[in-house]
Amino acid sequence: MAIMASVATATTLGKNRAHGSLTRPSIVSVGTVVWLSSELMFFAALFAIYFTIRSVNTTWPMPVSAKLHDAVKLDVPFDGAITIILVLSSVTCQLGVIAAEERRLRRSGPIFDITRWGLREWFILTLIMGAIFVGGQCLEYSKYVSDYQAGENGMTISSSPYGSIFFLATGFHALHVTGGLFAFVFLLLRLSKGRFTPEKITSTIVVSYYWHFVDVVWIGLFSTIFLIQ
Amino acid sequence: MKVEGFLFAGVAIFFAGIDIVYWYTSHDPTGTTALALAVALGFLVGFYLFITGRRTGMRPEDRPNADISEAAGEFGFFSPHSWWPLFTAGAVAIVAVGVVFAWWLAIIGLMCVVITALGFVLEYYRGVHQS
Repeated sequence: MAIMASVATATTLGKNRAHGSLTRPSIVSVGTVVWLSSELMFFAALFAIYFTIRSVNTTWPMPVSAKLHDAVKLDVPFDGAITIILVLSSVTCQLGVIAAEERRLRRSGPIFDITRWGLREWFILTLIMGAIFVGGQCLEYSKYVSDYQAGENGMTISSSPYGSIFFLATGFHALHVTGGLFAFVFLLLRLSKGRFTPEKITSTIVVSYYWHFVDVVWIGLFSTIFLIQ
Repeated sequence: MKVEGFLFAGVAIFFAGIDIVYWYTSHDPTGTTALALAVALGFLVGFYLFITGRRTGMRPEDRPNADISEAAGEFGFFSPHSWWPLFTAGAVAIVAVGVVFAWWLAIIGLMCVVITALGFVLEYYRGVHQS
């Protein structure tokens, strides 16, 4: 019974749950980092597919399909623009985390005074910037597919091996970004309920880890697919 | 946390060495990419553990002369029981089936995922469990 009594449950832990003590790292953060390292291996598979297809094709960028002998023209400036927005959203995310660690949940000044923004304002801005990135990707996808259907140099997921890995790699990344957007919405909902407890700061930090991870993976994908080609 | 950090740093160093040998003996881009990202895997976790260890300082399990009672206390919050993971997993299954057979089913499944994930996340913020 003595052992059972010392096992912490939801009722005994109260407000400090999930944050861990001062001498122990938060299990939520460590678990997230270990999970992110496994996510890295998921993207490793996608990178490996890309480099394999690249290595077995003597002409690169490879022709989009048998009937179209020219390679697809990637819209590098447009993608560069949405990449910059995604990288900047990592900065705003980190500013939100700094605000959270200083326990500034809401802004303490007028809405245009960004020096006094709180966690909520920074994360809503990050959410909007991430949504712009996903929207830009959708625009680009629709352009490639409609170009292909019009008989121009577009591509679809089934038009060629290049089209397959292009849409798989960027598409899985876009799904991750979308998942991150949902994480921001869920976190903002949690922040709107109850007090600003330490466990909410932990969640904020963990969501920011994920967002930075997705950002770094995109920098890798962007430089591989768009810059190096 | 140093021991854990060194373990993962060791993983990174091992794969870095293997990766170089692998590339020079095979010139295979697939395996080289996978091994290079395995280096990143070890580095990511090892780096995080080093940084965290520096911030939290020595834990009782890092000191040979520590008492067992020093490690007592809160470890974190563990949900006593919850039905939400079951429904979330079911909703993800609907999405997977939808991707295979019909996209409309996947869209319905995605809505179910959002609803069940909301229940999962907000379970301890409302109703009888609110704290």
